[in-house]
Amino acid sequence: MSAPAFGMHLADVVPFNLPSIDYRLIAPILILMGAGLLSVLVEAFIPRRGRRPVQLIVVFVALLAAFAMVLAAAGSRAVTAEGSIAIDGPGLLLQGTLLLVALLAAMLMAERMVDPSGDAFAPRASTLPGSEDERQFTQRGYLQTEIWPLFCFSVSGMLLFVVSNDLLIMFVALEIMSLPLYLLAGMARRRRLLSQEAAMKYFLLGALSSAFFLYGSALLYGFSGSIDLPVIADQITAKPSQSWLLMIGAAFVLIGLLFKVGAVPFHQWVPDVYQGSPTPVTGFMAATVKIAAFGALLRVLYVALGGLQWDWAPMLWIIAILTMVVGSVIAITQTDIKRMLAYSSIAQAGFILVGVVAATREGLASALFYLIAYAFTTIGAFAVIAMARDSSGEATHLSRWAGLGRKSPIVATAFTIFMLALAGIPLTSGFIAKFSVFTAAIAAGDTWLVIVAVLASLVAAFFYLRVVVLMFFAEPGPETATVAVPSVFTTVALAAGATVTVVLGVVPQPVLEMVANADVFIR
Amino acid sequence: MSEGINLGETIVFWVCAGLATLGALGLVLSRKAVHSALWMALTMINLAILYVANSAPFLGMVQVIVYTGAVMMLFLFVLMVVGVDASDSLIETIKGQRAAGVLLGLALGVLMVWGIGSALAGVAPAGLERANEIDGGNVQGIARMIFTDYLVAFEATSALLITAAMGAMVLAHRERWAARPTQEQLSKARFLSGEHPGNKPSPGIYARHNAVDTPALLPDGTPSELSVPRPLRARGDVRPVDHADMTEIAEIEEVDAT
Repeated sequence: MSAPAFGMHLADVVPFNLPSIDYRLIAPILILMGAGLLSVLVEAFIPRRGRRPVQLIVVFVALLAAFAMVLAAAGSRAVTAEGSIAIDGPGLLLQGTLLLVALLAAMLMAERMVDPSGDAFAPRASTLPGSEDERQFTQRGYLQTEIWPLFCFSVSGMLLFVVSNDLLIMFVALEIMSLPLYLLAGMARRRRLLSQEAAMKYFLLGALSSAFFLYGSALLYGFSGSIDLPVIADQITAKPSQSWLLMIGAAFVLIGLLFKVGAVPFHQWVPDVYQGSPTPVTGFMAATVKIAAFGALLRVLYVALGGLQWDWAPMLWIIAILTMVVGSVIAITQTDIKRMLAYSSIAQAGFILVGVVAATREGLASALFYLIAYAFTTIGAFAVIAMARDSSGEATHLSRWAGLGRKSPIVATAFTIFMLALAGIPLTSGFIAKFSVFTAAIAAGDTWLVIVAVLASLVAAFFYLRVVVLMFFAEPGPETATVAVPSVFTTVALAAGATVTVVLGVVPQPVLEMVANADVFIR
Repeated sequence: MSEGINLGETIVFWVCAGLATLGALGLVLSRKAVHSALWMALTMINLAILYVANSAPFLGMVQVIVYTGAVMMLFLFVLMVVGVDASDSLIETIKGQRAAGVLLGLALGVLMVWGIGSALAGVAPAGLERANEIDGGNVQGIARMIFTDYLVAFEATSALLITAAMGAMVLAHRERWAARPTQEQLSKARFLSGEHPGNKPSPGIYARHNAVDTPALLPDGTPSELSVPRPLRARGDVRPVDHADMTEIAEIEEVDAT
């Protein structure tokens, strides 16, 4: 037998099985990633003047196409890509919601009418704030169209995050989602130093939380010999004694996810980042990151760590209570409306955690409903904030909102709807959401948690309603902000946000049925 | 399974582990960023040797090529381009932050060492043969995993790299809004500015060495600030003027005069 001089026989090579990937089911992720690549090419090859329209077409077509693929996949339950992606009810529901909310956020980002000098982003993020370069680029009407590829990648990361079935792909998705957001946070047109500070803080704290997630994944791998969520679950039931690897690993993974959710005590980044980012990005981030992070958190808790429920439930109990109380109480003292909504988003994360802690099918369904309701309300609220302005940019101080209802009744009414929904007043989506979360928690036996939650929502109602009172029951003065007349983009986003908020409050049944049908993760 | 470890491997472990720890300490304790970077390279190279000694050749090579090679060099480049004279403020803005940081860090360290240590105390390793039995080797095993089980994760990482490149460009790429100034314009501007229009004095003139960190000496024997690059001055790396040099210069000038 003549052996070759070097190398290996083909026969020596272990048979290589091609991975089985159901491209139809992961099409939404691929479409958004493809759109990201395409819009990088648009940046490279289309002349500057033509970039914006082409980018908008790419982004909107991609979002709609991906949404169509999600609809086409409705009802599928499959684990694909060699076990790393799980397409199931909750995953598809969250993907669909993410795409619709991202569509509204893209409209806010595309708005060019409310700021007389351009969109909400710096004409060139590389110029020094206040420099001659910056002034020249603004004057010449430059737009930073690189926001669009970043936006597409971020959305594709979110779509992947909510269907990841192993910790490695979850980590990659987490980074794909976050990295563009760190960048977008630092690109505001106005108050650029604040924006850059926000981006820096978001990046550093985000990197820290990613490290926690990764370390936790490594320890869970050490415990179970696998990073697949179902295998980890099997190992937890198979190994009789509790292991420190499992405990520390699970805690670290949860810390990483709770950071993205914005739960206390991992919330310190939220106020600064929400305030500093360009308002369309704040809206995008507030709505979609919450959905994506809760989607992943639910999957990790229910699929991988279901057998550990007696260990994580008390920890999440404490975190939920802290989150609700700290968020609601500190929001009262805020004078800046973006900061106020930041603390409000912390408090809302606490309310969603109440549904998560329940760890039942009802708990999962109610948390999903809450996420849908919260996302549309939030994006609408930030659309209004982007419109209330003065000559130097957005007027975010609360005193500037006094009397806004008399000056611009329609926009103020829309904002009132959003505030009532966040406060959980009947006939809005927020009421149904809170009601279903609290019912699920009581059914699971968490009565004390619900009592705290109700008290916290009473406190929260105070600061939401205070804005409403301020807008309608104060006389407009010279300091009152002016509501800019937006283009069709913001108008549609605002109208869609308000409509969903009201419809989910008045006829919630179809969506409630939808989440009730999507309340089991695939194992 | 200590019986599987021979004397050579034990020696390699203790030497490399010690050096790696030394490098890590140096990284944290150095005052100058460049020194920290070099200490870090020491740590990384020693880790690479340990990987290779543990029969993980792929990991060892990647550690050398990617971390010690590419990442460390990038790190040094960045330091050289921007960070030489940037000094960190060591003032505590939040009272007690440093003490709290040290305490919490130690607490986390104790938790990790104790927790992971006690979890792994009774674990028997499966051994290299078991790990390589399916694919016939370390590198083949990684190759199979990347292109089957983790294909999607591997491909998705490209989105991450593109985002990073895009982000660096958005934040750092300076565009021009006006036409590039011509040489004539630049020359006129240089003379109109009123500053010294010619070359700055080169280092080392009238000095014993012609290295860049040796300042030129003015006719009265004082060192010329202008002759040394700014980053060196900022770092405090300018070579002091030697008195022996001064007397030597005086001697030369006397000889010339006569």
